[in-house]
Amino acid sequence: MRQLPLAGGVALALLLLLAAPSLVVAGASLTAGGIVQFPPEGLSLRWYGRVLEAREVRDAFLRSLEVATVCTALAVPSGTLAAIALARWRFRAALAIQLYLLLPFTVPLIGSGIGLMLLFGELGLLGRVWPVGIACCVINLPFMIWAVAASVNALDPELERAAASCGAGPVQTFLLVTLPAVAPGILAGALVMFVLALNEFLVSLLLVDARTVTLPVQIYTQIRAVITPDLAAVSTVYVLVAAAAVLLLDRLVGLEIFLRSR
Amino acid sequence: MAVGVAARPTVPRADTAPAVEATGLGRRYGEVWALEEASFRLERGQFLTVLGPSGSGKSTLLKLIAGFERPDRGHVRLFGAEVDAVPPHRRPIGMVFQRLALFPHMTAAGNVAFPLEMRRFDPREIPARVERFLKLVRLEGLGGRRPHELSGGQQQRVAIARALVFEPELLLLDEPLASLDVRLKEEMQLEFRRIQRELGVTTINVTHDQREALVLSDRVIVMAGGRILQEGDPETVWRDPAHPFVARFLGVGTMLRGRAEAGPVLRIGERLLPGRAPNPATAPRPGQPAVAALRAERVRIAPADGADGDGTRLAERLAGRVEDAVFEGERVLYELSVPELAGLRLRAIDRDPGGHARYRPGAPVSVQWSPDDLLLFDASLETGSDP
Repeated sequence: MRQLPLAGGVALALLLLLAAPSLVVAGASLTAGGIVQFPPEGLSLRWYGRVLEAREVRDAFLRSLEVATVCTALAVPSGTLAAIALARWRFRAALAIQLYLLLPFTVPLIGSGIGLMLLFGELGLLGRVWPVGIACCVINLPFMIWAVAASVNALDPELERAAASCGAGPVQTFLLVTLPAVAPGILAGALVMFVLALNEFLVSLLLVDARTVTLPVQIYTQIRAVITPDLAAVSTVYVLVAAAAVLLLDRLVGLEIFLRSR
Repeated sequence: MAVGVAARPTVPRADTAPAVEATGLGRRYGEVWALEEASFRLERGQFLTVLGPSGSGKSTLLKLIAGFERPDRGHVRLFGAEVDAVPPHRRPIGMVFQRLALFPHMTAAGNVAFPLEMRRFDPREIPARVERFLKLVRLEGLGGRRPHELSGGQQQRVAIARALVFEPELLLLDEPLASLDVRLKEEMQLEFRRIQRELGVTTINVTHDQREALVLSDRVIVMAGGRILQEGDPETVWRDPAHPFVARFLGVGTMLRGRAEAGPVLRIGERLLPGRAPNPATAPRPGQPAVAALRAERVRIAPADGADGDGTRLAERLAGRVEDAVFEGERVLYELSVPELAGLRLRAIDRDPGGHARYRPGAPVSVQWSPDDLLLFDASLETGSDP
């Protein structure tokens, strides 16, 4: 760093730029005044208090939790099995699934959102909370599959043969050896799916009605009315939740699982 | 040593049958036969090493015996029972894998207990048994560690304990020592030998390390190109290689090429070199191209003008010249050129410390060996099975 003061400076500037939105919103949430501004006018936690009291925000948060839970509960078994199958066997549907894994980068969310809206409308599922969880799972499942696939690819194939030589049948081998060995990937994928579903906005917007808004939709609705510092407080809570998830992930399985995925 | 009450025999057995009997085993990957017509018998309690370079078919042979793959031809019998339809987890086999394949999420003791749990041993008996086998491999007190908290040698020992703890009738070793450094490797070789003798378990070891094969085994099978070239006890395989490839793989110094004449004699140019054909099946026919193996440590060097060493019958002396002398501590490796044999380079090893560095590069010497040490083979064998 001493030889390259310029590079160090650029790196620092970039880091600040990346952190700026979070820092600004966190700062603004601490204001003692009545309008959103940065730097804040005085310091207080009063807007956090307001958030805790606001019924509609709390209910929306609980609905978002439900969405995230449904999404994760579906994604863990399906994503895990899909990832193991993709990594282990050559089969006819493999190409189709590989293409599906690219969808998050190629199809805009609004496109898949409208598709789901039409489908759920046909099925009479619009305006309820749990179908949003299914929608989030469908859209974000590639992230789950990647996380598990990274673990499966790092798995020594001899491990399963070793289990067989110990007398374990195929089912026992899967439950007692393969699953625990890929558990870090499953955990990482589950956390990512949970956070993504908790944050999901666009698809929720299309699938919910006024009585079943999720938290991001609630925030959006409030912005369209009056912008008050409690929105900054909610946003800050979001940032903290996401940061906690990343820290948890690092503590439990290490972040290199994402660097290993292909 | 008492076998656990619930150690159900997974294969019905006839008590006099050999431990392993392979007949005409073949395995094909696509168009290529990785293993062709392998047949052998292994008696109970013996230690067999399958020796060969990579691609020789030795690992395929092991997979067929373990049941991880099915043969495309032929059959495997274990203790008299045909096992072609028996899946690997129902065969009475313990195995140590090349990369060990310890279960990373279990402790050392958990790894060793796993086969007992899977094979439904009495749960009350398991802890004591795990303890006993950890002790057998000298890991007392380390049972609570995870594999990544153990050294390479200790992991090796856990893998051995895991393979043996349920007292399998057959132990398979898939080059588990290949990745160790020389010192640890030699230590573990002795360890394998000690444990194998202590438990008397029939063992098949696969390796490309000829020294390991000679040190450990009662029987040796040498493979190349998917075929078994020779089977025998280590001394016989070493002394009387049945195939030029076996001779070369077991570290013969020099291969000489010429024509065979009755005797048998190897003719190179005008020179006639009497030798011996260790195996009638691979002996050269008179008048046909022949190849001869000459062990470096059986070649004697004398000063160019000196007398013979002792009274044994030696081939005629040949005049040679020292091209290179490599000092290796307990021995000196000479590279010699012999103008009379079309400039052939041959290797000689001198283990006599008194003679060390007696001959410098460029020194004229006389070279001699006993006809018993010149092993003659049909030269057409070399192209066929060269890996």
